[in-house]
Amino acid sequence: MSAAVPNKRKADAKVIILGDYAVGKTCLISRYIDGKYGQHESTIGAAFFLKQWGSYNVAVWDTAGDEKYTGLSSFYCRNAGAAILAFDLNKSTSYESLWARFLPLLEHAKEDCLKVVVGTKRDAMNEDDREITIDEAIEFAKEINKDIDISKLNGEPYFETSAKTGYNVSKVFEYMFSYCLPLDKSFNNKIDGKSTIDLSDDSNRAHRGKSCCHKQ
Amino acid sequence: MSIKAFDLVPAVERFSLMSDKAKTQIECIDVCGKNLYIGTNDCFVVHYIIEERTAPNGKTSFHSNKQGHKYLTLKKPIVQLKAASALNRILVLCDFTLTMLNMLDLEPAVGGAKIKGVTNFCLNDNPVQGNPFTVEVCVCVKKKQVQLYNITDDKMIHVKDISLSETASCIGLDGHVICAALTSQYCMVNYDSGQHTDLFPIDLEHTTPIVKRISKEEFLLSGPSALGMFVTSEGISQRPPLQWSERLLSVGYVKPYILAMNDEFITIHSILDQQQKQAIPFQGGVVLNDFDGRIFVASSKEIYSLVPVAWEKQVQGLLADKRTQEALDLARNANHVGLTKEKFLKIFRRIQQQAAFIEFSKRNFEDALDLFREGQVDVREVISLYPRLMPTSSSYQRCMPSLHDIADINQLSHSDQNIVGEYKLFLISFLESIRGTKDAHGFKQEIDVALLKLYAENNSPELLPLVEEDSGCDLKDCVEWLEKYKRYHPLALLYRYHGETDKALNIWTRLVNGEIQDELFPGFSFVVDILASLSDHDLVWKYVDWALEKDQELSIKIFTERPSQEPPSERLRPDTVIDYLHRFPQAVVTYLEYLVFQKKLEKEKYHTHLAVLYLDNVLQLMKTNNIKKEQIDMARSKLRHMLQMSSLYRVQLILGKAKEQDMHAECAILYGKLEDHEKALKILVHKLRDYVAAENYCLVNSEGRDTGYRKRLFHILLSVYLDPANEKKDLLVQPAMNLLNSNVADFDVAKVIQIIPDNWSIALMSQFLKKAIRTNMHNNRMTRLERMMSRGENLLIKQIGIEEQEDPVVMTEDRPCAVCNRTFNEPSFVRYPNGIVTHIHCAKNKHVCPVTGKLFSTTSS
Repeated sequence: MSAAVPNKRKADAKVIILGDYAVGKTCLISRYIDGKYGQHESTIGAAFFLKQWGSYNVAVWDTAGDEKYTGLSSFYCRNAGAAILAFDLNKSTSYESLWARFLPLLEHAKEDCLKVVVGTKRDAMNEDDREITIDEAIEFAKEINKDIDISKLNGEPYFETSAKTGYNVSKVFEYMFSYCLPLDKSFNNKIDGKSTIDLSDDSNRAHRGKSCCHKQ
Repeated sequence: MSIKAFDLVPAVERFSLMSDKAKTQIECIDVCGKNLYIGTNDCFVVHYIIEERTAPNGKTSFHSNKQGHKYLTLKKPIVQLKAASALNRILVLCDFTLTMLNMLDLEPAVGGAKIKGVTNFCLNDNPVQGNPFTVEVCVCVKKKQVQLYNITDDKMIHVKDISLSETASCIGLDGHVICAALTSQYCMVNYDSGQHTDLFPIDLEHTTPIVKRISKEEFLLSGPSALGMFVTSEGISQRPPLQWSERLLSVGYVKPYILAMNDEFITIHSILDQQQKQAIPFQGGVVLNDFDGRIFVASSKEIYSLVPVAWEKQVQGLLADKRTQEALDLARNANHVGLTKEKFLKIFRRIQQQAAFIEFSKRNFEDALDLFREGQVDVREVISLYPRLMPTSSSYQRCMPSLHDIADINQLSHSDQNIVGEYKLFLISFLESIRGTKDAHGFKQEIDVALLKLYAENNSPELLPLVEEDSGCDLKDCVEWLEKYKRYHPLALLYRYHGETDKALNIWTRLVNGEIQDELFPGFSFVVDILASLSDHDLVWKYVDWALEKDQELSIKIFTERPSQEPPSERLRPDTVIDYLHRFPQAVVTYLEYLVFQKKLEKEKYHTHLAVLYLDNVLQLMKTNNIKKEQIDMARSKLRHMLQMSSLYRVQLILGKAKEQDMHAECAILYGKLEDHEKALKILVHKLRDYVAAENYCLVNSEGRDTGYRKRLFHILLSVYLDPANEKKDLLVQPAMNLLNSNVADFDVAKVIQIIPDNWSIALMSQFLKKAIRTNMHNNRMTRLERMMSRGENLLIKQIGIEEQEDPVVMTEDRPCAVCNRTFNEPSFVRYPNGIVTHIHCAKNKHVCPVTGKLFSTTSS
């Protein structure tokens, strides 16, 4: 029902989440949009959410992980500006299918589509039983994004999250949104709750300086 | 989650041909205005006129009337037919051939234009060319291509071939975009730009391909796993898919519902939330479609219409099921035909209000608050749900027809006190949020009274601002309520707000006296402040007694801290007040201090009175035993300050008393006031031995006087030190020396030398004498310097004066002498200061003008 009203407004950017069955894609999104964690029925086809980002609207598409919907997922990837490739940190097969099954789907996304690799269910993982090392995942994330410029983003396109605790969840989306729709400084200030401009903040200035000489 | 959105109403019952052959079945239909066309499986096209009638009870019924039929002699089923009213033609697809019939008599169109090899066709509802008498048609042909035609009433003009990767079985057309179902997938082709976009695969085994244009640049396709997929002309989706049932046959769309038919059911989904809203059992359906906003569905023998239930009715149904969000979404998106914007808004507000009360009863307070505000609910309707919160004077009757079925919050909460508390908190936040906005206009009293009652119950500190300023609370109701909850301070404030200050003060006195309690009451000083600012002076007098008895120091503020703009009043004249204050010694002192120091009233009476009181105080303290010295010193310094600062009091009176008590410091000041400096200084030197004070005395008393006066004072002091009559004069040599050598003292040296005792050595005096000489020398030099500078200035000014007066004397040949009137024949001449020019010999006297007789100064400068 949450999609009903925003449907009337056009989205300024599109992001999509892909990943194996039951890795927790819908949980991740609903944690971000509604701030709640709960059980979800398996997604049929796809679902859709609209999120306000500064003055923009971002369409967040949730896809079904079930193999029978693979054909549809590639259709829903069309025009996506950023994609989450989600896998279950406790299930190495779900990590492998990212490369095998989901990466090819992003062929229809925008050329400069940002691919963020996201490990889910961090809360259920025991560090000793780790199957996919952080270095390995970051290596993979960098490799699939090698054609686009992510230098101005804050960090590597790899996150480990927990929808249950909310760990890192907003970070993932803000990371993607700021890639698709960089907010100007004043909006950032609003988000941070700051009202003054910090002239000595070199890190941000460096970003701004760079952004003009890069393809958007 | 069901809702009744449509009613199934028969349109053409027991469809029959003349022969009434059992085999004849409906294959396809089209409706255009009142015309309904049926294509049969045995190659007939049948024409009906249908009329829609609405009975007084709101029920819709159809009356059909057969007009005629036409046999196409092909013995094949009619696959598709479509009326093109602009051309007055129907397009008929039968046996892979697209032909045209006349709309009315069903005769073949003149010219017999046809397209062969057609499997499917569609019309462009969003045509790209402006000609109203041309219809744009796209046809699927058996080969891997589709073709575009422009069709007029007698011609079919081939426009373009568009080749595809596979053969299309079903197509949709919108603007330049063709959406086609191929054998393995759907694709979108823009024939203008030539762009091909593959959409998603079709599973032909389980799914019938369906391409349904639902609005401008948006199609609905049947996807795998029985999903209804929305696709825009750009080939992307902007809505999540619909979950349909299997074996779907056809689809129709009436805003905001998608109707889909399989062989057992017609299911209705909302395009707004993609949820199924209704399912109507319908067996043996052949075709379903929307025709100009009307839905018709055909089985093999009958035709029905799906008549939309009025959206207001649907909304009410949803509200009855307490599905508020859906109801609001539906109301917002429904077809508001025949409603002006204002009318719709009015209806919509009522729906919002109903929804608000539903959320309210479900205790979804956040939603309820938003809806109450957006729906601009009459705030009294909400307050009236809370027993006893409405003002008793209010005659508010609940809204009819009623917006809700809530009796009151006790009913909602089943008298659970926690829940009642939640409801009350909600009301507080609701009332606070609308207080002062335009929604509250006209209901100020109701809102404020309700808030007051709620605050009083909770003992909220918000109560104070509510009753203090701009309050809508009336007395009648609130007094009783506030007394009930023992909120005495707010009660007093409310009285005061309503001008009943006497009652208010009465309560406050009781609070101060401890007869009643209220933790919100700030204390006695608050009452004093109130009294101090009270403009009703009679009332002030009424309570002053009580207040002063309580605390003199604090209460005197009633008189000393009057509002600055208060006009002077007879009742509060200083004399009256002082007379009254006799009983309160502390208060009277404070009051006099206020008059003397703050108001600076220059009346001898007050000053003397204050001085006497200070003195009395000191005397009192001195008499008392065991009193600390500091306390006396404090009191005396206060007195001295007063004596020194003021010169209006009666000095003699005080002096008499001071002398009696040997208060030397005070006496010194008083003598000073009397200009009896010798006495004063003698006291300071001999009695008090305070030499610094003595020096200080000279400085203070000579302030603002000329230096002569000052010199005189210091001289007096010196002579006191050096008084030969004094027996202990040796003791005073040191202070005398100090005085002589002091930087601040000022002396007439000649006079000083006269009184210096002869026995003093030069060495003793050397410092003073040196200084004196140096000072005199300095003064001498300074004076000379000043004199010379003045002289220089004088010269300068004279020079300027001369320069100002300077004027050339112009001598010409014909300028005559002023005396003899003859011309000059030599260069010398005489000029008098008044400008008269003569021969030298004509100037008899250089001090007297020969012409005017004016006398010039004889002294040369």
